[in-house]
Amino acid sequence: MKVHYYPGCTLKEKTTNLDNSTREAMKRLDVELVEPEGWTCCGAEYPLTEEKIVGLAAPIRVLRQVHEESGDVLITTCSFCYAVLKRANKAIQEDPLKHKRINAYLKDDIKINAWTKERTTGFAEYNGEVRVLHLLEYLRDAVGYPKIRSRLKRDLKGLKIAPYYGCRLLRPQKEVGIDEPDNPHIFEEFLEVLGCASVDYPFKQECCGSYLSVSLPDAATEASYQVLRSAQLNGAQALAVSCPLCFYNLDRRQDRIKEKFMDFTGLPVLFFTQIMAWALGVEEKVLGLDQHFYPPGPLFQEEKKAEVVL
Amino acid sequence: MFEPQIMCFLCKWCTSGAADLAGTSRIHYAPNGINLRVMCSSRVDPQHILYAFRAGADGVFIGGCHPGDCHYVEGNYKTLRRVTLFSKMLQDLGIDRKRLRLEWISAAEGKRFAETMDEFTEQIRALGPLDLKDKVLKREVAKDE
Amino acid sequence: MKDKEPKKRIGLFICHCGINIAGVVDVEKVANLMKDYPGVSFSTNYVYVCSDPGQQMIIDTIKEKKLDAIIVAACSPTLHEKTFQEAAKLAGLNPYQIEIANIREQDSWVHSDKEKATRKAVKIIKAHVAKALRNESLQPIKVDVKKRALIIGGGVAGLQAALDIAEHGYQVLVVEKNPSIGGKMIQLSETFPTLDCSQCIMTPKMVEASRHPNIKLLTYHEVESVSGFVGNFKVRIKKKPRYVDEKLCNLCAECEKVCPQVVPDEFNMGLSFRKAIYMPFPQAVPGTYTLDVQNCLGLLPVRCGKCKDVCEKKAIDYDMKEVIFEEEVGAIVVATGYDLYTMQAIGEYGGEKYEDVINGLEFERILSASGPTGGVVRRPSDGKIPKHVVFVQCTGSRDTEKHNAYCSKICCMYTAKHAMLYKHRVPDGQATIFYIDVRAGGKGFDEFYQRAIEEDKVLYIRGKVSKIFKEGDKLIVWGADTLTGKKVEVEADMVVLAMAMVKADGIPDLLKKLKIQSDIHGFLSEAHPKLRPVESLNAGFYLAGCAHGPKDIPEAVAQASAAAAKVGDLFAQKELLHEPTIVPVNDELCSGCAICITMCPYQARSLDPEKGIAVVNEVLCEGCGACAAACPSGAAQQRNQTDEQIFSMLTAMLSEEEHV
Repeated sequence: MKVHYYPGCTLKEKTTNLDNSTREAMKRLDVELVEPEGWTCCGAEYPLTEEKIVGLAAPIRVLRQVHEESGDVLITTCSFCYAVLKRANKAIQEDPLKHKRINAYLKDDIKINAWTKERTTGFAEYNGEVRVLHLLEYLRDAVGYPKIRSRLKRDLKGLKIAPYYGCRLLRPQKEVGIDEPDNPHIFEEFLEVLGCASVDYPFKQECCGSYLSVSLPDAATEASYQVLRSAQLNGAQALAVSCPLCFYNLDRRQDRIKEKFMDFTGLPVLFFTQIMAWALGVEEKVLGLDQHFYPPGPLFQEEKKAEVVL
Repeated sequence: MFEPQIMCFLCKWCTSGAADLAGTSRIHYAPNGINLRVMCSSRVDPQHILYAFRAGADGVFIGGCHPGDCHYVEGNYKTLRRVTLFSKMLQDLGIDRKRLRLEWISAAEGKRFAETMDEFTEQIRALGPLDLKDKVLKREVAKDE
Repeated sequence: MKDKEPKKRIGLFICHCGINIAGVVDVEKVANLMKDYPGVSFSTNYVYVCSDPGQQMIIDTIKEKKLDAIIVAACSPTLHEKTFQEAAKLAGLNPYQIEIANIREQDSWVHSDKEKATRKAVKIIKAHVAKALRNESLQPIKVDVKKRALIIGGGVAGLQAALDIAEHGYQVLVVEKNPSIGGKMIQLSETFPTLDCSQCIMTPKMVEASRHPNIKLLTYHEVESVSGFVGNFKVRIKKKPRYVDEKLCNLCAECEKVCPQVVPDEFNMGLSFRKAIYMPFPQAVPGTYTLDVQNCLGLLPVRCGKCKDVCEKKAIDYDMKEVIFEEEVGAIVVATGYDLYTMQAIGEYGGEKYEDVINGLEFERILSASGPTGGVVRRPSDGKIPKHVVFVQCTGSRDTEKHNAYCSKICCMYTAKHAMLYKHRVPDGQATIFYIDVRAGGKGFDEFYQRAIEEDKVLYIRGKVSKIFKEGDKLIVWGADTLTGKKVEVEADMVVLAMAMVKADGIPDLLKKLKIQSDIHGFLSEAHPKLRPVESLNAGFYLAGCAHGPKDIPEAVAQASAAAAKVGDLFAQKELLHEPTIVPVNDELCSGCAICITMCPYQARSLDPEKGIAVVNEVLCEGCGACAAACPSGAAQQRNQTDEQIFSMLTAMLSEEEHV
């Protein structure tokens, strides 16, 4: 089964191992992830300005392309992309002015590319037909937990993992909200299906500071420290994230955290599809664990040893 | 100048009260309407509306309580449903649906009642006489002959 | 419309009303014109028809001219319709043969063109002639009233209403689903703003209700069904088997000692345990044990039997059965109280996860001298005395996004009370309250709340709480302090949530049985929000207490007494007189399509199963006419405003040649 997939820039550039983990894991579930042709940046942030074209053209172009390729669903594994794409999609459906302007702009867009390829669209306007889903939702609703359970190859033996939702996945509830912002459980369910024990800790929806990475690095350091430390205090052996930006921030920032907060001992950060890939039997080298800043290697190697013994 | 005849069905608890209040406040308005007081706007049957047009009304007005305020709990919602469907039928029957008007006017809105009467009178004047009575009578006479 | 016009002698009296009418409408001309109008036997005009001589003139004329009906063309019927009806009665005329033509408020006062106003007056009068020709003489519908009241709910509101109605001299039945009366009030420790001991003021009322000769307490009973209408309700009541004879039980408590089944005690909000055979609380009324068959090891067959063995009074009877019986009452007061919003709905506050996050009623039990901790403030998890208690107001209330949009009214006051009582018992403890506003509107309320701040040094932080979680031994409360604009983190030993007041558990089922209206939150609807706060729109039903909406004890008591007074109004009538201008069913024309039945907001119409046609309950019908307009066969005609009458009025107003 083929489904449209939007990796986003981070997965394609900085964290290719996460992209590969995702693809391989989904293959084990009989799903082939297909990227829409010529996809571009999603915009990374939903525009809060009154400007009705520029901010939305980027995400809508992607969705329009998916629609052109007869896709009715677009999966993403990045919370930022998820939030932008989903909100832009809704804006097109609900605001007639935005709908008119974006479609007008994108019509011109196609003409520009006409000299490189012959392209005729099968439809006149994009009206928000594509559904934007985060992979967590797709796994729960389309693939289904029973199927995942039946394909598990490795026993994770109740590995204690703390799910980190971050900000983008849950808020604003009405437009994006994958689950109830104050009391979500989709990520915990996912981890438990894979055989982990999910850890409850208070900082699971708190900001990790990634936005302030450049402007106020100290604030970002402190925010990340709070998240990692809280997970650790509650017994987590690793932190699971659903967004490559969160991953990038929480993993890479650990050297600065150690500098500032001497008591911090470090915590492995895993991308949710890496855990899934491992549980479904994908080879370790695909996960690219050596690319992590804080090595999660020891965590998984133990499991491997157990496998060898058996 | 053509003086329209307008038949007004007013609910006792709200719109008839508003008409009374317009009187107590001595607010003048066009004399083209004539009122029939019903207990609730939901008493008005589409048959009554059609009969009014046939009898010589150029316009028909129904006044009831604001949604949520009906003395009989939900009568005005029934009126709303009936008038919505019926006005479409009117159009199909060849009578301009603008000749039928439904308004929610509470007993406190005397001024609004007067203004509505004036406005509606002018609207009907612009639409011209309906002359249904003559048309029907001509046909009836023709049949008898 | 070609039908024979009935023969009737109608008298027309046109009022000048000084110059109010006569100044615009040419009343003499109209009176003269109408003399010859078909149906009018007498036509005159007079200066002030509503005056004494005016009325006398009408009475004399009716008798002299042998009139069957009269039309008074004058001011709005809202002013003098009754006056003229009374005058006509004196002349021997049925009041429903009087028509009032409004030619003042709806004609002379609003039009300046005299000619047009006069022509309009003629049309108006002609319409009333057409109606008067077909008016029937009607008698008001008499309804018997059974002077006996049913009160559903034995809390403070129910008992207050019961006592008031009983004092009037009427019989009262109080149906209470729990084994004892007392409601929520008996669970409270002290009440604001006086810090009265709640049980001390409630138990005398409970005892008084149990002893009053006019009150019959039916505890451990439930309402099964209600049929009938105001003054004539038939109620089926279910008596649940207690398996203990109340009259024999002497409260020796031997049965309780030997019972092997231990169950969380609902009276103590699950903070302690009781046995399957139990007394809910020491002051229970009636004072008897009850066997909770759901938690008993089993009676069919008897698996244990220990309690019966030790009962010296032989009060325990395992063969007791459920009994359903019928009672007739004239009025029903619904005083079923409230429940608290479940803590499960606000997962981020940890009410379900952490034992030390509790709701207001649980804290009341902890504070209560007869509670699970004997009145010592201990936290549920380990029994330690908490040194810092955080109280959170507005949990689940005033929240338009996710929970309940309304304000629960009592939380500000009882939270201040809780904080004060905690400080009185743990003087070195710290009480912190997170609030949005403090609503202290009653008598002595604001002073009470100020006392909490000034004397008991309770800390109030204005801001909502976002999360509560456990870290080690402490509960961490994350909130905001909007007055300083900062995030706040508080370490607490225990947290008390002021959960929203919501509809009582059994309300959806009960409403189906009673067929009365509630609002979207499940609180019972009053007939008019300002002017009729204790009656339901459904005649015969009255509301009291929190079943109607969140309120405190003084308001519940006031409302209960008001409801009792309204019941008194009803019972004081020898019989009820109901307007006869209802919509009957013409048996011959009705085809049984049942459209009219769904139209009625009062459920006055039903389908007769044998005849297959509609029947109307004349007492419930309010005469709105919605069904009459919907009836496809014309079987439903409103008395004295039939379709025929309306058509003839329309003809008179629109078709006839203008004579002026």
